[in-house]
Amino acid sequence: MWLPFSATFQRNYLVMKRAFPWSFFLGHILSGFYIIIFAYLTYYYVFKGDLSGRFSIYAGTDDYLSYVILGGLLYSFSVSLLMIASRAIITELREGTLEALLLTPTSRKGYFLGYVAQGLTRVGVEFTVITVTGYFFGLHLQNINWLSVVVVLFILIVATFSQALVLGSFMLYFRDTYITQNTLFVLMGLVCSITFPAQFLPEAVRWIGSIMPLTHGVDALRMVWIEGKSLSDILPYLWKMIILGIIYFPIGTFFIKRMEKYVLEKHFG
Amino acid sequence: MVMIEAMNLGKVYTVKKKINFFRSEKQKVSAVKGLNLTIGEGEIVGLLGLNGAGKTTTIKMLSTLLNPSSGKITIDGLDAVKDAIKVKRLVNMIAGGERMLYWRLTGTQNLRYFGKLYGLSGGELEERIHDLLEEVGLTEASHTPVELYSKGMKQRLQIARGLINDPKYLFLDEPTLGLDAPVAKQLREMVKRLAKEQGKGILLTSHYLEEVEELCDRVYIIEKGSLILHDTPENITASVVKNYHIKIESSALSTFQQNRIKQGLSGCSIEFSELGDSTEMHIIAPFDPTALIINVCMKESIAIQKLELKRPRLEDAILTLAKGKLA
Repeated sequence: MWLPFSATFQRNYLVMKRAFPWSFFLGHILSGFYIIIFAYLTYYYVFKGDLSGRFSIYAGTDDYLSYVILGGLLYSFSVSLLMIASRAIITELREGTLEALLLTPTSRKGYFLGYVAQGLTRVGVEFTVITVTGYFFGLHLQNINWLSVVVVLFILIVATFSQALVLGSFMLYFRDTYITQNTLFVLMGLVCSITFPAQFLPEAVRWIGSIMPLTHGVDALRMVWIEGKSLSDILPYLWKMIILGIIYFPIGTFFIKRMEKYVLEKHFG
Repeated sequence: MVMIEAMNLGKVYTVKKKINFFRSEKQKVSAVKGLNLTIGEGEIVGLLGLNGAGKTTTIKMLSTLLNPSSGKITIDGLDAVKDAIKVKRLVNMIAGGERMLYWRLTGTQNLRYFGKLYGLSGGELEERIHDLLEEVGLTEASHTPVELYSKGMKQRLQIARGLINDPKYLFLDEPTLGLDAPVAKQLREMVKRLAKEQGKGILLTSHYLEEVEELCDRVYIIEKGSLILHDTPENITASVVKNYHIKIESSALSTFQQNRIKQGLSGCSIEFSELGDSTEMHIIAPFDPTALIINVCMKESIAIQKLELKRPRLEDAILTLAKGKLA
């Protein structure tokens, strides 16, 4: 698994160096930035800093700006990660390299991990840029339990990677990236407690948020970032992400493999 | 025996046919039907057929990209479906066109990437990359991004990619498609060397029938997924195309001389046409009539100015078969 991992990491690094995906990079930073600026403007100029009492109860904090900025930060992080992993195979298909890849006896796990690990270097830069931007709009950087932040992010990466495999299967089936991914991203923005707690949503749609690793990740991150809580306090959230990852991974692996054959028959048969 | 063996191979695709804007129905289409095929070590085997005959589907099944719907493929005794990972180490495929390469990587980087996916690394991989780039004449362009390569260079790099795992069996799907004549010639020479000197078993599909005739030891001709002929190119040509064509330009012939020629070449169809102070004869014979016509001309003191013999070629055989199928 190591060889395909390192080979794919290196390949994507070289491709990125030669043609940096500026539109994706800026797009993800801007989507985080828009969430921040929208929250900032509405908080100060529309609501005049007046928060509903229910917000504090649901969110567990009065720090609305930190709440939203962290939501935007993790949303952008999750979307970037989902896009990197889910578009891997369909990009090979579009660039005409899928057959050459499938001819090799390589481990698909190594391939995907290399793909994601390389993508994370870009996502890390996006994360840093949004964090710094958020600081100027009210994101506080004190009392943060950094170890817990790293653990939350790591588990979120694993769970989101598994979710991306399922998303990638849909993309291959529909031979579409734009509508498929954006439908999911809009839904995530709405139900995953990004700009407001999911408890404000009708009961009937709340379950959608609960099957997204991002919902639990963002809740856990806020606890360790805003409230400085320890790992033991956020264990239930971590477990939910782990369980979702365990469910999504075999489903995604199974369907990605099937879809690889499906697209070969569909496209080249 | 060490070889590729496809037994009773079949592939059925499910395609959706649109009935109207909202409705479509699934249909089964048989792309390959009961095909039996073998490729031995060091052998170049041709796979011919009109468009949609099932050639590419067959190659994709042999190279493990597609699973057969029926039948079995064994490669050196390994089942191509059950032992796909092991089989992938033994085979590789090269397709015509400009796909199957990463355009933003250089030639060396492409080969390094694919080499690693085949489990190669370190000095062994670097040495193989060096040798292959030299073999396909891309050493100087090895550090140039593929997007700056010409079509011929991309095709040559594809060949290097197809050989990176040193496969025992190589599938070439229209490898000279769109290549300049000198590059295509180089490629043909390389294919011959790979088979005859390195003992690789090669399956070749090509629309350039002279290429198939030049390279292949045996040829399979398929039509709508079914095998219709299998033999050496010479035997196929001989069995399908019965006639030789000869064009002779001679001094002007009298009617008497024309009759003498007709008598001397009984069983042949002969047409005479006057070209001012010379005569052109067009002879169609079920055998090579060259010696016979020269003999008759000498006896009748006819001066031959030009003689053009058109031997039956594989292309004539395929055209004859295609006419028969289309008629």
